[in-house]
This record gives sequence, structure tokens and C-alpha cells, in this order.
Amino acid sequence: MKPSDVGFVTAIASLPKVGPGRLGALLAAGEPAAVWQRILGGTIGDDAAVVAALGASARGLSTAWRDAARSMDPDQLAVRHRELGYRLLDATDPDFPDAFRDDPEPPHLLWVTGDLARIRPHTVAIVGSRRCTRYGHDVARRFGREAAVAGVSVISGLALGIDAAAHAGALDAPEGAAPPVGVVGTGLDVVYPRRNRALWQSVAERGVLLSESPPGAGAEPWRFPARNRLIAALAEVVVVVESSERGGSLYTVDEAMRRDVEVRAVPGPITAPTSAGTNRLLADGAAPALSAAELLESLGILTATPVERAPTGYRDPEEGAVLDVLTTGSVTFDELAERSGLSLERLGLVTARLQVEGLLTRSGGWYQRAG
Amino acid sequence: MFTTISSATVLGVEGQPVTVEAHVSSGLPGFSIVGLPDTACREARDRVRAALLSSGCRWPQKRVTVNLAPSGVRKVGSGLDLAIALALLVADDQLGADCLQGLGAVGELGLDGTVRAVPGILPAVDAIDTSEILVAREAAHLVHLVSRAEVRSVATLREAAEALAGASPWPPPPPDPDPGPSEPVPDLTDVRGQHAARRALEIAAAGGHHLLMVGPPGAGKTMLARRLPGLLPRLDPGQSLAVTKIHSAAGLPLPTDRLVTDPPFRDPHHSTTMVALIGGGAPTLRPGEASCATHGVLFLDELGEFPPHVLDALRQPLEQGSIRIARAAASVVLPARFLLVAAMNPCPCGEASRPGYCRCSDRERARYRRRLSGPLLDRFDLRIDVTRPDTNRLLGGEPGESTAVVAARVAAARERAAHRGVRCNAELTDATLEAATPLEKGASALLDTALRLGSLTARGLTRVRRLALTIADLAGADAPLTAEHIGMALALRSEPLSRDEAA
Repeated sequence: MKPSDVGFVTAIASLPKVGPGRLGALLAAGEPAAVWQRILGGTIGDDAAVVAALGASARGLSTAWRDAARSMDPDQLAVRHRELGYRLLDATDPDFPDAFRDDPEPPHLLWVTGDLARIRPHTVAIVGSRRCTRYGHDVARRFGREAAVAGVSVISGLALGIDAAAHAGALDAPEGAAPPVGVVGTGLDVVYPRRNRALWQSVAERGVLLSESPPGAGAEPWRFPARNRLIAALAEVVVVVESSERGGSLYTVDEAMRRDVEVRAVPGPITAPTSAGTNRLLADGAAPALSAAELLESLGILTATPVERAPTGYRDPEEGAVLDVLTTGSVTFDELAERSGLSLERLGLVTARLQVEGLLTRSGGWYQRAG
Repeated sequence: MFTTISSATVLGVEGQPVTVEAHVSSGLPGFSIVGLPDTACREARDRVRAALLSSGCRWPQKRVTVNLAPSGVRKVGSGLDLAIALALLVADDQLGADCLQGLGAVGELGLDGTVRAVPGILPAVDAIDTSEILVAREAAHLVHLVSRAEVRSVATLREAAEALAGASPWPPPPPDPDPGPSEPVPDLTDVRGQHAARRALEIAAAGGHHLLMVGPPGAGKTMLARRLPGLLPRLDPGQSLAVTKIHSAAGLPLPTDRLVTDPPFRDPHHSTTMVALIGGGAPTLRPGEASCATHGVLFLDELGEFPPHVLDALRQPLEQGSIRIARAAASVVLPARFLLVAAMNPCPCGEASRPGYCRCSDRERARYRRRLSGPLLDRFDLRIDVTRPDTNRLLGGEPGESTAVVAARVAAARERAAHRGVRCNAELTDATLEAATPLEKGASALLDTALRLGSLTARGLTRVRRLALTIADLAGADAPLTAEHIGMALALRSEPLSRDEAA
């Protein structure tokens, strides 16, 4: 891309209601500077090719774009672009990821921070619910870490829950592990959700952050399914750790299947709504992801048999009794008392101790195993 | 002619003595009442006139003036009717000049001359300092329980006039009323399972710790709360008198034959207004639900549905045990020392605390959470999650301990607290608490780690110690506190609303 075009393409991509489809149509209509002039003039809706791509809505959009364009300044956007220091790629760029080159719906523009060369040849996407259980969180984290250790780049969406856990695991891996890849829906300068700011920064520093939305683009709901398609396109295998029956991660699964990318799902209790979607995937024929080693094997990577934490016998029989009850998921204090056979006082002490040791977590009155 | 008689009106929960002065003189016939009467009180004019005529007395065809002294205090309600009528009879020479000597009267008149009891009669009677007191027959028994004076009771104004004239003796006191079927107190034995919640109730009762129950609909929060008054000790005579007076002032139904001896249980609906909850309504500055719950339990179901400003108004009584109400005309202090029990859902759908089960959006949950102010939530020493019991356990399963068994333990624990000079551990000051709760090595190590991990704050630390002390008291254990006591206390203090799940 010519440096002189940067401001214009950014401006075009920043117009309201411009998603990948419309952006493609607009960029195909001519030189960016010329297209911008026609948008400003409100005549872009008269272009036959644009009308062909956008259909009947072209005329209405063209007016809305003209109004929005009047308050935008491509020169200033170019200046801002230099200040932010992101790279802006299009398909003509030699660094444009190959995975996108023959994609059915490739990104037209890609804002990047971090070195694209850091993306390893092998990639795995670890996705799932934003609202996850401890089990899902721990599995995502473990998979993330072991994949990174084995030199596989972990791709995720930097959302709350499973996404964040997978990346936290990848970042947790020792020096020399594969750097994480974050594909986000918002502009790279718009951290969303804000609670993930620290994680977002670490991924940007140690790995790569990608977005097809221009800087400043907010968290409009339609950006996330579009982002999921990029995750599916980049990944060699997509692992869904936890998903409800109609979770957004199932969108990633659809996109992965369109691209013949392997989908794996982590089984969960049939009583847990957070595993309803993943269990359904398994029933529909997805391969189960039972361990990180197995997952890596499907990528052709053989890892030394990992030393699973063998049940070496618990230090304390009471702690053992409590942890044994917790193998089945989340349990209330009452149930814990009944099934472990401990008095409420003993149980209070044991749970407090287990929490301190990081072996147990608690959400309101529900207890879960950690680690 | 001129005469006076003692009576009283009510402000807040206290009686205010009032001297009723009647003056009958020649002049244009007329009747006026002066001395800040409110509407109900000014209407006494018509009631008294009709009652006198129905009782076979004459209505003076003269200039009649009634003054209610002190003139600066607002006189409220119809309780002064009887006193006004008697004063008039004397001032009009229909009764002997000295027959009102040493007599006080409180009661409302019907148009046919019936004498009726009024709300607030107990505090009113308490404020009158005479050797004899005249009240409606229906209130005689209760007044007798609180009054130092000799209680005379009449059913009609005619009876009173005849007795005062010496034409007939005072009617005999009414026979002891039938105690009536006592209301069955819900028993703890009905609660199946819910071990942690039962324990929390016991601790709340023993230590006077405010209790917040969080759980989905149908978990039994209300059922549990209703069983708490049964665990509290019966009111001692002083508390009984205080509570009976408050209930009388608030116009609540009172037992006919005795003072209120059971700890009250008040459960205002969440549409309750601030005035109805903390008091100050009407010119009487009537006590609200918070005062009516004094020495008992104030139960707020659906805490999240109460308007936030109503809840925040509870912070003063929770801290000081009383409410100061100031209005332009008067200010009163209403007692309000109660055990606060609240129940709420963790989120609009009720499932938020169970990992992965909530169907609410983040925004809905955040909005629900904002409704409760941190300072109010801070007042709850005990915050427990109540979960829906397993249906299998509801049908089978052993019945739990009965109220009587648990109440005995509570009484023993309160006994231990009494040795520290307080009624319950919630009243201990921070300094005494520190001295009363030396920690065993394991216990302080546990607290230390909890503090270091951030799961406990400095303020939470005092509360955990306080709770642990009550737990030790219930177990009959002496200082120092063990790790078990601390662990139990930590387990009974969950976050009121689950923070977002891990990550």
C-alpha cells in the first residue's frame, strides 16, 4: 500500500456500518483518494459496481457516509496512524498472512502490532464462553500453556473467560515458547473488555495483535462474529473449551468448518449449561480434546509424555476427602459437609486452608476445585 | 367556672403530659378548643357534645373554652376526648368541684357516650402522674400492667359520671381476658438440610450479628428468617415494657392479657416508604417498622428491590440503635435496636453464584449489584448463600434440631457474652473484642494468609473475629480462638454477590 493511501483507507474503513463486505466493495471501486472524494460528494451510491455489491441499500448508505465523511479528515487519520505505530497491511503486502490469502472472506485491511513473523507455523485457536466455570478456565489455561511450550501459537479473541485463560496460559509458558496471537474485534487502540487491559498489553508485547477494524472502532456487536471468522481462518485447529448451547464460539466453529479447519471440543458434565454447546459438538462428530498432548499430536507434534500431576495422596486426609467430593464440579457447602463427612467447623477450616493453598475456589456459596 | 384534669398525648413513642383546662362562663353560647389541637383533636368538640347529650347530661348553653396546656405542644388524636368531657361536666357544675382531684383520663368518645381505647394508650398513660387513671374498659388490663396508678375503667361516659358523682361505685375491673390461642411459633425442626444456613441463624441469634441470605427463589430464605425470633431469648421485663409501648404508639395489635414478651418479627414489603420504615409519619411522628422490630428481628425480603434511599436510612439505626427524627415542629428519638435479616437474589434470574448457570447479561447483573450500597452491605457480619435443597433430602432425611434445643445453646452463648458486659457479641467495642479474642497460632496464621491473599480486608478482619468469638461461645470453648472457629467464620462470610467468574 502506498503511504499516501493510508489516511484514505483508514477513513473509508472508519465510516459507519462498514464491515468487511462493504469495505471490499468500496476499496474495489477505485483509488482510495478518488473513492473518498466520491463518498464526500455523496455520489458513491451511483457507482454500478458498488450498487451491485451493496444492493438497494447503497443509496441510503451513500448519504449517511457523505454526512459522516464531512467530519473526518484523512490527513489527520494518517498522522494519527503514524503516532499509534501500528502496521497497516492489505493483500498486496508480502507480509500479509498466507492463511488469509485464499480465504473465502479475507480481511481487506489488517492493523497489526507486534512482529507477524512471530506467528509460528503451527497454530491452535482456543475459544469458549466469556462466562466460564473454573473447570473451563483451568483447561483453557493448561492447553494454552502446553501448546505454547510445544511451539504452537495460541490464537484467541482476548475476550473474558476462556479466551483470556488460554492466553494467560500461553504467556505463562517459559521463555522461548510460541508467542500468543490475539485477534480482536475493536480497533487496536480500543481495549475491550477494559478489564483485560493488562493481558492485552502483554500479548501485544510478547506476541501479535491483529484487527481488521480501524483504530478507534468500538465494540459494535457485529464486529465479533467477523473477528471469529479471522480466528478460524488463522488456526490449524480450533478447540472449544466451554460453550453454551448458543454461544458465540459456535460461530467460530461454523467458520472453521467452512474452511475445513479441524474442530475439537472439550467434554464437560452433561448437567452444566456451560458445556451444553461443546457436548453437542461432540455428539455431532467433533473430536474430543482430552489432553493437550493429544491436541498437539493432531498437529503432528509429538511431545514427551507430560508428567501429569499424579494423585500422590493428599497431605491431609480431610483435605483429600473435600477434594474428592469436588471432582464432580461445583458443590455447595452443605453438600460438601454431607459428602465429606466433616463437621461444619472442620469443613470451614479445611476449605479456608484449601483456598489459601490455591486448591479450591469459591463463588458465593459454591465451591470448586482449582488447579 | 374553671377546672383542670390530667391527660396525655403521644409524640414518637413517648407520652407527653397534657393538662386539660375547661372554662364555662356566661356569654354567647359557643365551644372552642385551643392549644394546638390537630384535626382529630379539634373534632373532639362534636364528639364530646354528642356523647354528653347521649349520656343524659346537659350541654351548657354558655361560652365554653377548653385549653390544652402546655399550649406549645401539638395535641394529636382523640385520646383527650374523655378528659375534655369530664372537665366540662365539672366546669358546668354537673359534677362536684373536687371529684377530678388526682385523676387522669385517656380515651376516645363515641357519639353514644362509649369510651374507647386509642392507639398509643400505653405511653400516654405512662406519662400521666396521678394516683388514679381512667381508661376504656377494653384497655384496662393492659394499662394495669404498665401503670403505677390505680386503674379505673368504664365502658361509657355515663358510668364515669355516675361513679364520679358518687351515685354508684366504680365498675369492677374487667375479668381477666381469655389469653386466646397463642400463635404457633415456627419451629426450626421443619427445616430439612440447610446445615450452613441453620448454623448461621444460630450464630446470628447468639451474637446479634446481622444476617444477609443470598439465594435463588425457592431456596427457603423466608422460611429460615421466620424461625429466627424463636431462637432469640424472651424479652426481659424492661424490654417487654419498651416494646409494648412502641407497638402501642404505632397502633399495632397488642396481646390482650400481657405485655409483648416474644421478640417481635417485622417483615415490611419492599414497597414500604422511608417514613413507614424508619418512622416519623403523621403529626405524632409515629414509630416505623424499624422501631417496631426493636429487640426482635427486622426482615427485609428482596433487599435488592427496596429503593436505595430507604435502605440507606437504616444505616443510622444499625449503628446507634435509635433513630433521631427532626421535624420543624418537634424532634423525637425512636428506639430501633433490631437484628437485621435480609434476603435477596444474587442477580435478576437468581442463579448468579452457581458457576455457569446465570442467564442474565453482564449489564443486568451490574445494575442489580449497584442497587445496594457498600456501607449497608458492610453491616452484615454474616453473609451466606442459601441454595435450593435437594428434593430427595426434602422428603426423606432426618428432621433437624428443634428450636428449643438451639435456643438453649443461644442462651448459653449469650450468658458468656454477658460476662463481657454486653448482651451479645455484636455490641462489643473493637478494643474489648481484641482483648476477648486472643488467637491460637494456627488461627492467626490462617487470618494472616487470608489477609495477604486479599480475600479478607482489615475491616473484614474485625468482623471475622467477632463472628469467630460467637462461634466459640456456642461451642462452649474458652479463649483463645482456634483455627476451626476462624475457618467457620470465613465460610459464613461469602461475598454478597459473586464477582465475575475466574479470569
